[in-house]
Order: sequence, then structure tokens, then C-alpha cells
Amino acid sequence: MIGETLSQHEGIVESVESNYAVSGYHHRHRAELAHVPAVAELFRTAGYYLEMMTCIDARDMGGNKKKKDDEEASDDAQPTGSLRLAYQFNRPGDPDRHLLCADLAPGSNAPTLTTVFAGANWHEREIFDMYGVSFDAHPDLRRLLMPDDYSGHPLLKDFSDSDPRREEMASD
Amino acid sequence: MTDTIEVVAQDRDTYYMNMGPQHPSTHGVLRLVLHLEGETIIEADPVIGYGHRAHEKMAENRDYTQFLPNTSRVDYLSGMIYNLAYCQAVEKILEIDVPERAQHIRLIAGELNRISSHLLWLGTYLLDLGGITPFLYGFDDREKILDILDRVTGSRLTYSYGRFGGVVMDVDDTFLRQTADFVAYFRERLTLFDELVIGNVIFQERTRDVGVFPEKIIQQYALSGPCLRAMGIARDVRKEEPYGLYDRFEFSVPTRSEGDCFARSLVRMDEMRESLHLIEQALSAIPDGPFMAAKVPKRLRPPEGEYCFAVESARGRYQHIIVSDGSDVPLRHKLMTPSFVNISAMCEVMPGTMLSDAVAILGSIDIVVPEIDR
Repeated sequence: MIGETLSQHEGIVESVESNYAVSGYHHRHRAELAHVPAVAELFRTAGYYLEMMTCIDARDMGGNKKKKDDEEASDDAQPTGSLRLAYQFNRPGDPDRHLLCADLAPGSNAPTLTTVFAGANWHEREIFDMYGVSFDAHPDLRRLLMPDDYSGHPLLKDFSDSDPRREEMASD
Repeated sequence: MTDTIEVVAQDRDTYYMNMGPQHPSTHGVLRLVLHLEGETIIEADPVIGYGHRAHEKMAENRDYTQFLPNTSRVDYLSGMIYNLAYCQAVEKILEIDVPERAQHIRLIAGELNRISSHLLWLGTYLLDLGGITPFLYGFDDREKILDILDRVTGSRLTYSYGRFGGVVMDVDDTFLRQTADFVAYFRERLTLFDELVIGNVIFQERTRDVGVFPEKIIQQYALSGPCLRAMGIARDVRKEEPYGLYDRFEFSVPTRSEGDCFARSLVRMDEMRESLHLIEQALSAIPDGPFMAAKVPKRLRPPEGEYCFAVESARGRYQHIIVSDGSDVPLRHKLMTPSFVNISAMCEVMPGTMLSDAVAILGSIDIVVPEIDR
């Protein structure tokens, strides 16, 4: 079973069973980012595939949630915490869905998974585009959805569209 | 920069050509940058994002109910399946029970939607390959489905028929009769399509042994849907992780072993037959009763955590990945769409094929560009 091999792997910080009936995941893991390619390799050799890969902006945006009650406090608050990369592995036939999460600081780099799963290529390009996470040794790290000359990363929680072309368009 | 110029200067026989973004066979605004040597493709680089509408960003800025109308716009060809998938995902998280009648209606509507999606694929695929007549036949039949769904849902393409806990309107006897009539009618039409299209020698010449997916990409790209089943692997989310009533009714998962464009076409033709079979069973089993759950919370606040819900759309495995922070707005809502996977895997089979085959391969994958861009 992949579960035992995984929980003994040095890169895995925490490993818990999940209630599949509600969450759709059988297992959840937290890993150190640097070990993620090695963990993914374990999944690959066990016959699993990379079902999904994404990033989550889990930073605390300085009381954004309470914005209505406390408008002033949220204005000068700086986001704290980190982004989280999420990888989802599953196997053919009998589903066994694993969610692997790894934290990373905003603006830092992550190791690429393209050497393990070729399909990670576009996922990583999308994360680079939407969250500004750079993947080391990625073969083709370009924006995927936004235009090449776009600046900013739209899915970050503190994103605001500062594209000057928007004002030009509005004045036309 | 100088390196690039030197390479181009030495290599006079290759060139780049843009296919799209405005090209009739890219089915939406997709641009393929083709590196060609004569008519042979060296490399294909899809440029996407022309139809990016930031659905995921929108989801993070509104509550769960407000996102409902967005769902069918992600993939406008299986809008019903996508709309119901979102309802089912939220219902599963919040453990809302759906009445039996609503479950049956959902299955019938979803399978009708699958047939209409496949019919549009059939028509436009043949159009891409140079046959105009099947397009007219396909759209004629598709129109009948749209009319049936229009009567009960109020829309023809971007349905917002599902609600958390059921569907927005009940179906009447006319709907059931119309659907039953359509099933009988369409079964005969499928035989006609087999003779008109599948048996056609030009169609076979254009698609047989073209765009064969190598086996290694199944695991490398997490391939799903008809593209996967055309490689001889009988996998379907409706069987693997049954949702709704799919574990109650009998249907088989059609497969072919060749993995080429022709095999993908045959799989879709057979899938339409299976959908008819499913609709027939649901029609005869549909009970009377409520079509909405009695008690659905007004404010939806899923407990903190990550949730994943998968359905089988007309194009393959479609997943809602919802990350909740306990509030009534999701922290992250990822839409994992099958076309995204299929088109990135397509880059692996393009090199070495002819330019005219690129159209055949692209069409056989049955991509919906807005679904890739989201």
C-alpha cells in the first residue's frame, strides 16, 4: 500500500485519513515543498496519476473577513502566512484519492513536477500565471491564460487590476 | 535572441503558421502555432486564454448560490451536466438529501445533454473533415433535445436548472412523453448515422490510424473520457465513483482499442446509445413526489477543509475542487476540466502528422475552448 510508504517518507510532515463520503478525498498529506517531486515519484511508480494541481492563496489578509465591521483596520494590514500548492493523486480502477499540500512563501520558487508527470506542464504554467509562483527547471514557463505582456497575478487575494490599458479602453 | 535568428536562417525549409484564433475548426477562439516542414507538423503549440472569463476568481468573490449561473457557462455544450455537478458537489459537502423524483429528472436531463453535446461534435467534426450534410442532420436532432429541455428549464444552452436540493421546476407528462418519443426516434437515427457517416469510406480514410495516442500519456496526463476509452480502457466516473442514480441503472462503458480518431468517434456513437438506454430506464422508474428538498439552509457555510467532486461530462472527468474557510464564500474554487487535460496531451501526438490531420485530431478530441480557458 502506498499509504505506509508515504507516511514513512521523510518529506511527509503529516498524514491523515479523510472522510471520503463527504470530502471526496481518501487521504490528506502535508509535505515539505522540496520533497514533493520525490513523493510524486512514489505515486507514479505505484501507478497513480496526477489528477489535479493548483495553488491556494491561504494567506491571512489582515482581517479581510471582518471588513464590514472594521473597515479601517484592514486598509493598512499586510497579508501574513503563505501560499499553498495542492496536488491531487488518484489511481485507475478503484479510486484512492490523495491530497498533498505544501506551503510556500509568496514570491519563492517551487520544484517542478514535469520530470515526473508531463501533464504538470500546463498546470504549473497556470499557477505561474495566476499566482506568480516560479517553478525551477520547468521546460517552458510562460503565462498560460493571461496575455504575455500582462503584469500581475489575478488569483492572488490582494490582486488589483493595474493594467494601464484598462483605463485607455475606458476612456475610448 | 541571436541564437534563434541563426537557427531560422540555417533552416530554410521550416516555417511557423498560425491556425486560429479565428479558424472554423478550432471551435472557439483557440490559436495553434504550428511549426511546419512542408505539410508535416514538427511541433504544435496551443495558445489559449482568448476566452478567459475568470470563473475561478468570480467564485471567490460571491457565495455558493450566486455562482450557480456561472457553472453552465464553463462548458456551454454540457451546461446541464456542469450545472448539476455543482449542485451535487455542494449537496455532498453540506449533506443535503435530494428527493427521488429530482434525482431521476437530473439523470434524464444530464443524459439528454450528453447526447446533444455528442451530436454537435458529430456535426462539426464532419464539417471540419469536409462533409456538410451530417452537420444538418446532427443539428436537426439536437434541436429536438433543445426544445424538450427548453420547455422545462427555460433555456436552450446555458441551463441553470439545478438547485441545491433538487431542480427549479418539476417536469410534466408532456416532457416525459416527448423524451420517450425522442428515444425511440433517435435510436433509428443512430442507425442512419452509422450508415451515413461511420460507414463512409472517406470518413474512415481521414480518421483511421490518425492521431493515435501513445499509451504512456494515460498516466502522464491523467487522460479521461472518450479519448481514454478509445484506447481500450473502460473507465468512467459514473462507474468508478457513482453519483446521483448511476449506480442504480444498468449501462455499459463502450471502448475501442485502436486509440485513433476513428476509435474516438465510435466510442461517442456508442455512448449515445448507452445514454438512450439510461434515459429509458429512468423514464420508466420516475416516481411522483417533491422535486425539491424540504429544508435547505439559506446561508451555505461548508465546514473548513478541501472538497473534491467528480462527474463524467461529455468530454471526460470534470471536477469541482472547493476549499472552504468556513465562511459562505469559498477560499478557492478550482474547476478541473477535461478539455484542459485533453488538449495538453494532444501536443504529444501532433508532431509527425500532416497539417490536414491536425484538423482531424483536434476535432476528434472534442474540445470546448471556453472550458479550457474558464
